Amino acid sequence: MNPQASTNRRDFLKLGALGAAALGLKATSAEAGPDPKALKLLGSQEIGATRPRPAGNRPVWDLSTKPLEKVRCGYIGLNRGRGHVNSAANIPFAEVVAVCDIVEQRAKGAAESVRKKTGKEPAVYFGDENAWEKLVARDDIDVVFIATPWEWHVPMALKAMEMGKHAFVEVSAAVTVDECWQLVDASEKHQRHCSILENCCYGEEELFVLHMARQGLFGELKHAECAYIHDLGKGVLWALGSEGDWRRNYHTFMDGNLYPTHGLGPVAQYLGIGRGDAFKFVVSVSSPELNLTQFRDKAQPNKGRHKDEKFVCGDMNTSIIKTQLGRTIMIQHDVVSPRPYSRINGLCGTEATFFGYPARLAIDAGNKHPLLDPKEKRNSHEWTYEKERLTKFMQANRHPLVTKVGELAKKVGGHGGMDFILNYRMLDCVRQGITPDMTVYDAADWSAILELSVRSVKDGSMPAQCPDFTRGGWKNIKPLGIVS
Amino acid sequence: MDRPVHTSRRDFLRLAPFAALGAAADAAPDPRRILQGGRSAETGATPPRPAGSRPVWDLTTEPIEKVRVGIIGLNRGRAHVNSCVSLPWVEIKALCDIKDDVARAQAEVVRKKTGKSPDLYTGSEDAWERMVAREDIDVVYIATPWEWHTPMAVRAMELGKHAFVEVNCGVSVKECWELVDASEKHRRHCPILENCAYGEEELFVRRMSAEGLFGDLKHAEGAYIHDQRGTAPDGTFMRPQRDWRRKYHTLIDGNPYPTHAIGPLATYLGLGRGDVMTRAVSVSSPEIGLSQLREKAGADRARTADERYTCGDMNTTLIKTALGRSIVIQHDNTSPRPYSRGNALCGTEATFFGYPARLAIDSGNRHPLLDPKEKRSSHAWTYEGDRLKKFMQAHPHPLVKLAGEDAKKVGGHGGMDHLMNFRLLDCVRRGLTPDLTVYDAAAWSCLLEVSHLSVASGSMPVEVPDFTRGGWKTLGPLPLIT
Repeated sequence: MNPQASTNRRDFLKLGALGAAALGLKATSAEAGPDPKALKLLGSQEIGATRPRPAGNRPVWDLSTKPLEKVRCGYIGLNRGRGHVNSAANIPFAEVVAVCDIVEQRAKGAAESVRKKTGKEPAVYFGDENAWEKLVARDDIDVVFIATPWEWHVPMALKAMEMGKHAFVEVSAAVTVDECWQLVDASEKHQRHCSILENCCYGEEELFVLHMARQGLFGELKHAECAYIHDLGKGVLWALGSEGDWRRNYHTFMDGNLYPTHGLGPVAQYLGIGRGDAFKFVVSVSSPELNLTQFRDKAQPNKGRHKDEKFVCGDMNTSIIKTQLGRTIMIQHDVVSPRPYSRINGLCGTEATFFGYPARLAIDAGNKHPLLDPKEKRNSHEWTYEKERLTKFMQANRHPLVTKVGELAKKVGGHGGMDFILNYRMLDCVRQGITPDMTVYDAADWSAILELSVRSVKDGSMPAQCPDFTRGGWKNIKPLGIVS
Repeated sequence: MDRPVHTSRRDFLRLAPFAALGAAADAAPDPRRILQGGRSAETGATPPRPAGSRPVWDLTTEPIEKVRVGIIGLNRGRAHVNSCVSLPWVEIKALCDIKDDVARAQAEVVRKKTGKSPDLYTGSEDAWERMVAREDIDVVYIATPWEWHTPMAVRAMELGKHAFVEVNCGVSVKECWELVDASEKHRRHCPILENCAYGEEELFVRRMSAEGLFGDLKHAEGAYIHDQRGTAPDGTFMRPQRDWRRKYHTLIDGNPYPTHAIGPLATYLGLGRGDVMTRAVSVSSPEIGLSQLREKAGADRARTADERYTCGDMNTTLIKTALGRSIVIQHDNTSPRPYSRGNALCGTEATFFGYPARLAIDSGNRHPLLDPKEKRSSHAWTYEGDRLKKFMQAHPHPLVKLAGEDAKKVGGHGGMDHLMNFRLLDCVRRGLTPDLTVYDAAAWSCLLEVSHLSVASGSMPVEVPDFTRGGWKTLGPLPLIT
């Protein structure tokens, strides 16, 4: 019942050589994936340099495309990608044309779930590290979703755009600043979208804050805080056959914020980063590395096979980003400490302050915004809205996107529905031919904080200058519309 | 019952020319001048210890039956008056304030409570000099505008008194060294009056970290987030009595008030005692809040029209320690948000956050204080709300056991002012080294200028001076209580 199980030894050999050459990888062995330790890291002086736009390239921040009736999708990486496949299977104007995973079972499992839901079974690709190249070479795919280990994101996205597809790339979209430039240049050269799949931008709370910020409830924005605090140090980071195979590796050679975008994406949207403001520099400090080593030594996960790994990434990384308008963003990363999940999600303006975990909204006594009850008493020593009162206020002032697809999102699920809203919105943009909310500049800006934080830590917390991936465009790019 | 009030017209006239001569009417120290000349490249330099001076981190003194106290500055000093009069082994000998009526009101508080009236020093900017020259005072409390702290404390120690100095103690790195050198030279204590190190929540976290509940400590966060704009139509922070404090918002861009944030964290992490701050990097948001407040200030606007505010509304400073640990401290006193000191401590075995107070304990944490049958998940706080309250009550800091009830009665920021005063004065009475020494006063206060210099240099990392001159390596941890 496999329409095209396109993986045989001959194809594999042929593509292996081609793939390696095309991607400029060291073709030491046909099966070698990109080695993250071999990625090009930049020096303190060059990291912030804005590279000239190659001749013939044009900006894509307002790229529109031909409207489509059906958006045809291909998926690479079905551990994390399952959620996206599931979303698409529930969107009437999307079609899952092909799925790919190195693990046969995962590929077939995803295909089967699509068949059950839609009656159509997608083509499957699996079995070796180059199988994905056959997927992106198909000519019946509009969008390629890339949800593979981080070091694969850029090579796959580049190839997909080269082959005329929009690349929807999981977070972080790129590991290095150099890779970020490659994404920007490819998107501008091929005039294809390269969106970062930052689901947290579509959380109900985040959409509410974005909506309120855009309506002026916060007054002038001056400071924001965000984080990825998620205790993965006893499970996920050691899980064989999934993230344990590659994600822990980053903890052995980089000390900084390894995963900046979940916290930063939403906050960047509140502040209009890349659209009226831009990141200027980053300073970063790490705590010592303790928990991962301690757990490894105590619990000896996977029968002690990791005993020689040396972890260098500080447990808690705190960075501060300064923006061109002078605003500040504090961003943290900690995936190994004993504490509950948090993205902080803090936004401070002259007229109001929001913080998440737990969600709280304080409104200045003098704030006369039309959304507010003019008779409401407020004092500066308490949160104006929290718990049930906040829930009510949020429900009364929902982002239009939540009003539109929030119910369906809850049913389909995926991180509380935000995965579905993300997929719905991004694919709807492609269907309508309009520029998606998140462009390659967002993908690059947000992902670049990874290497920039590493750079600053290595330099004893010296400021690392942020490159301007919009090449000055941020000064004129219009703010993100409030979509409906 | 009328003790001499040292402010007569004659006194005043006699003193006025003296003050005027003292470098052209600069009777009052000028914060602009104090902060002049600070360079980001030089903060880390450790000046050699002057010949004859010796460290005071283990300074003990003769036990005394009564601790005799003088207090300068009776706006903020009121809380200390209150504590002192409630302690039978403390006697307030003298009170000083530039405003006569303010001093008299506090003298009346003392008289009512103790039956004795302290001597008063009022009316001129150097009235305090006569108070600290008295021979019957052991401890001088200094609760004046910041620029006065160091000159007063140095003079008090020179004249043989222990100087209990309000926060911030020194305005500049240079002043912080002056405090250290004076304390070491005159063998007098110079503790910082950091009341927040004595909050019940802070004392609980301090005890738990000292007893190992948190495992290895790696990161901490503190803040002074306090909307001081006030809800009065004229904007409380714009009033004349806040002129001196607002002035710092025109002089620096950094964290003008770091010690409420760093103080408690320093007691958890053992800064100055086994670890020490090595460098800080600081970033400020734009300044908007104070300028907007002035616009709303109505009739009074003209008076402050020439003030140009430089201090960003939100300052975030990252600090690295010698053991590699990281600390975040923030300052924001002009934004619409509720009070917070952050008060967070992250260890390998537990995590605490304040505002609201929450404690997460690692599922593998086998500390004897914990219930071994307790189920814990990494996705929820183990203790918060009433459960945390119960846990805190079951494990109070010994100081809370000793004086917590009294502190609640005496009050003062929920009792922490009294716990601090009780503890520091009790150390002097018994001749023990106080919990907070001049090294803490200097290390915590210097972050004002250090953060300012980092922001001014485009957020370059700036070295934090080691006021212990290497002593932190061998100093033992702060005992829970002595």
